[in-house]
Amino acid sequence: MPRYELALILKAMQRPETAAALRRTVETLMVRGAVVRDMENLGERLLPYVMTKHNQRHRRGSYFLIDFYAAPSILTDVVDHLHRDVDVVRPTVLKKDTQSSKQTCCALLASKLADG
Amino acid sequence: MFHLKRSRLLFGVFSRLQNASKPTALTSASIYQDQVKHNPFVKMDNPYKEPHKGCILCNVTVDFKNIQLLSQFISPHTGRIYGRHITGLCGRKQREISKAIKKAHAMGFMSVTHKHPDLMRDPNICSIKHVD
Repeated sequence: MPRYELALILKAMQRPETAAALRRTVETLMVRGAVVRDMENLGERLLPYVMTKHNQRHRRGSYFLIDFYAAPSILTDVVDHLHRDVDVVRPTVLKKDTQSSKQTCCALLASKLADG
Repeated sequence: MFHLKRSRLLFGVFSRLQNASKPTALTSASIYQDQVKHNPFVKMDNPYKEPHKGCILCNVTVDFKNIQLLSQFISPHTGRIYGRHITGLCGRKQREISKAIKKAHAMGFMSVTHKHPDLMRDPNICSIKHVD
């Protein structure tokens, strides 16, 4: 299964409510057959710009990153579900890129071109 | 070392003398050729060659989450992304930075119109002087 990353911005709430929202999100993923690998908390900070969602203007938010393995067919369902969740300000699902370290850097490329 | 070289030269000369089925002239060219056969150090790369310099982000992975790194390549006044002639990055890294900044804008990680005030005091990488 390909590996995805969900960058989740939740509304600035109290700790038990944030925990409940995260629990709901992870359960949504697991019910549809995804395997959650890792979850990171990037902290609560001021949003870079005011985001309007569900008729509310948000200035502060808590950032979370959820790594998971899933079938590509469930992604549209998951994103649709997250858009309808009132506590979620902005959900974004990305493919996880793991190949960046294998590429040759420009210095090596330049030296190869000079020799060959 | 000196003795080795002399003995090698002499060895070459002696082998020629021994294998003299046909009479060959002992010219300096033939002696040099003998030297070349026995001397393994003739061909080599320039030892004083400097290692090729890459751009500043050569071995650095670019990520949309790392807004501090990305903010070093935007204008502090308008938030616009600097061009290649200002940042001095190679083609690949410039594209990666540009894509990461736009991704961060869309996902709500980085501001579009300005630079985060906490990151204003970061060292200036790009070759641009701000008139403040």
